Amino acid sequence: MNVPYPVIKPRKGFADTFKAAIGKAHVATKDAVDELTFTVTREGLIEACRTARDEFGYQQLMEIAGADYPERPERFEVNYHLLSVTHNHRIRIKVCTDEDTPVPSVTSLWPVAGWLERETFDMYGVTFAGNPDLRRILTDYGFEGYPLRKDFPQTGFVELRYSEAEKRVVYEPVQLPQDFRNFDFLMPWEGPEYRLPGDEKAVPEAPGAPSPAPAPSSQPKVEAKAPPPTPKTTETPAQTGAGAKANKEAAKKSKAAPKAKAPAKPRKKKGDA
Amino acid sequence: MTTQTLDLMVGAPSDKPTAGDQTVSNYTINFGPQHPAAHGVLRLIMELDGEIVERVDPHIGLLHRGTEKLIEYRTYAQNIPYFDRLDYCSPMCMEHSFVLAIEKLMGLEVPLRAQYIRVLMAELTRISNHMLNLGSHIMDVGAMTPNLWLFEVREDTLQLYEAVSGARMHANYFRVGGVRQDIPEKVLADMAAFLDKRMPLFEDAISLVADNRIFKQRNVDIGTVSKEDALAWGFSGPMIRAAGIPWDLRKSQPYEVYDRMEFDIPVGTKGDCYDRFMVRVEEVRQSARIMRQCLRDMPAGPVGSLDRKVFPPKRGEMKQSMEALIHHFKLFTEGYHVPAGEVYVATESPKGEFGVYLVADGTNKPYRCKIRPTAFSHLQAMDFMMKGHMLADTTAVLSAIDVVFGECDR
Repeated sequence: MNVPYPVIKPRKGFADTFKAAIGKAHVATKDAVDELTFTVTREGLIEACRTARDEFGYQQLMEIAGADYPERPERFEVNYHLLSVTHNHRIRIKVCTDEDTPVPSVTSLWPVAGWLERETFDMYGVTFAGNPDLRRILTDYGFEGYPLRKDFPQTGFVELRYSEAEKRVVYEPVQLPQDFRNFDFLMPWEGPEYRLPGDEKAVPEAPGAPSPAPAPSSQPKVEAKAPPPTPKTTETPAQTGAGAKANKEAAKKSKAAPKAKAPAKPRKKKGDA
Repeated sequence: MTTQTLDLMVGAPSDKPTAGDQTVSNYTINFGPQHPAAHGVLRLIMELDGEIVERVDPHIGLLHRGTEKLIEYRTYAQNIPYFDRLDYCSPMCMEHSFVLAIEKLMGLEVPLRAQYIRVLMAELTRISNHMLNLGSHIMDVGAMTPNLWLFEVREDTLQLYEAVSGARMHANYFRVGGVRQDIPEKVLADMAAFLDKRMPLFEDAISLVADNRIFKQRNVDIGTVSKEDALAWGFSGPMIRAAGIPWDLRKSQPYEVYDRMEFDIPVGTKGDCYDRFMVRVEEVRQSARIMRQCLRDMPAGPVGSLDRKVFPPKRGEMKQSMEALIHHFKLFTEGYHVPAGEVYVATESPKGEFGVYLVADGTNKPYRCKIRPTAFSHLQAMDFMMKGHMLADTTAVLSAIDVVFGECDR
């Protein structure tokens, strides 16, 4: 097999012993694409991490990754990626939370968690109880909102530019000349969940209906236009509008008669000069 | 510079003996965001006691572009260029983690030649990155000449980059299933010539500083990190190796064809700035060694997966075959669908462990892509590394971290 990605040797029997060691905190175990994921309860998070670090040799916390699943009751996931440099193995510990419930901070176990939690807070608004310095980290000073939530638009809400008039940077609401295009590549027969304008006119056909469907009979017929009561005719010369009056008008000089242009000089041929 | 409480203590009784009749309490200075030694846009709020640093509060995010948000709205292939723009000093190594993460979710095999090319380019990138970092480190502590020489070497690596991918920096060269195009024989020969002709220049430049008394005074015992601290603060790459832990993902969790390569892992003894510098110097030599092995052993063959649902057909084939045309059209409009799942793949980038946590939902766009930058963890440790050092040591510590803000801020 020429697999290019790093293949991490599985630790035999680790999943079961770890599950037993964390006891009540354990919610679920997933072993997919050679990666072990343990979902734990919020209350049991610190104990599970401590067990992983002290008893199972996962010395390093490499990453805390948030994720947002708005359709779930507890919409946020926080993923802790642990690395063991002695056993050469990685695991993922996962907790779920919502907007209001804080997750216990693991800064007491790994000081590196400080900024990683700050970032998750900045991007998702997940709070961490016990983090001594939970400020925003990546976004602008005075930023509002949580940009990686799924309901935050890609463009954001404000844009800034340097104003020559005010000699400072000003913030303005985002104005786009054209919306971002977002194509939907889902197969139409796998059921996209939207209705295009005009879909409401389409009535589902009865089985065995004739195809093409006959013209609907219930609609009112469009009447042809009736002729006007007195038709306009040109029977006599007077009715044409011609005569002395019209001749006089026609003889008038128009005010701004354009001057005739001088004819353009014939272009010199090459080599004539 | 803002002075907070300079003269507050004038005339106040003090239990400390003072030189004059005035006590200067701590004051806070602002370092950056525009500073030649800040390696980009870094703002440090430093609390000083005289010239001794008491506390450092790095303010990052001045280069935050919302890459992770943008990635969620684009197809997988459209996202590869965003990775070039993370660590713009080592673009191909950034792409590497991303394509490996997708390939892991797909369970995709990659032809051997493509794997060799990826390793070759990753090591060229490492040399290129270290030329920049070593040179600027030397310049930050006061020496000029080696930086100019190292930039000559870096220029050659960038020209090789251009010959291979068409771009000097933002290569967009790695693809899921292989690489964009094959490397011509002539360019491979140029690479070998580069290794033979340019490495002596690198050795010359390093010989100017490696045993230099002033350089050592500025770096030895500065920013010392113990093994325990390196583990607790999430260090990786040259930072953890300088602390004395022989940990390199290329050896311990080999990806591509690194398991066929013969190379050594340099390890530091004290974990100070000098060790980090020398670890990188040795890594350049080892990278050159790996590149030579790649050039020697690289087999012939395709440079992309033959799975036409993932990797596009050749242009000539596309003009002849209806099926190839359909595949080409589908891949360049809709792209490939990645099976649902989550994966964390890390590679050894020149700066350390660069990881990608990818959540796919089965469509052609990532549901979530978290980038694990190396500098983020390292910069956080700046506070404890700087404690008790002089203000002038900030630049040495910062350079030895090897921070690039495109990656740190994302």
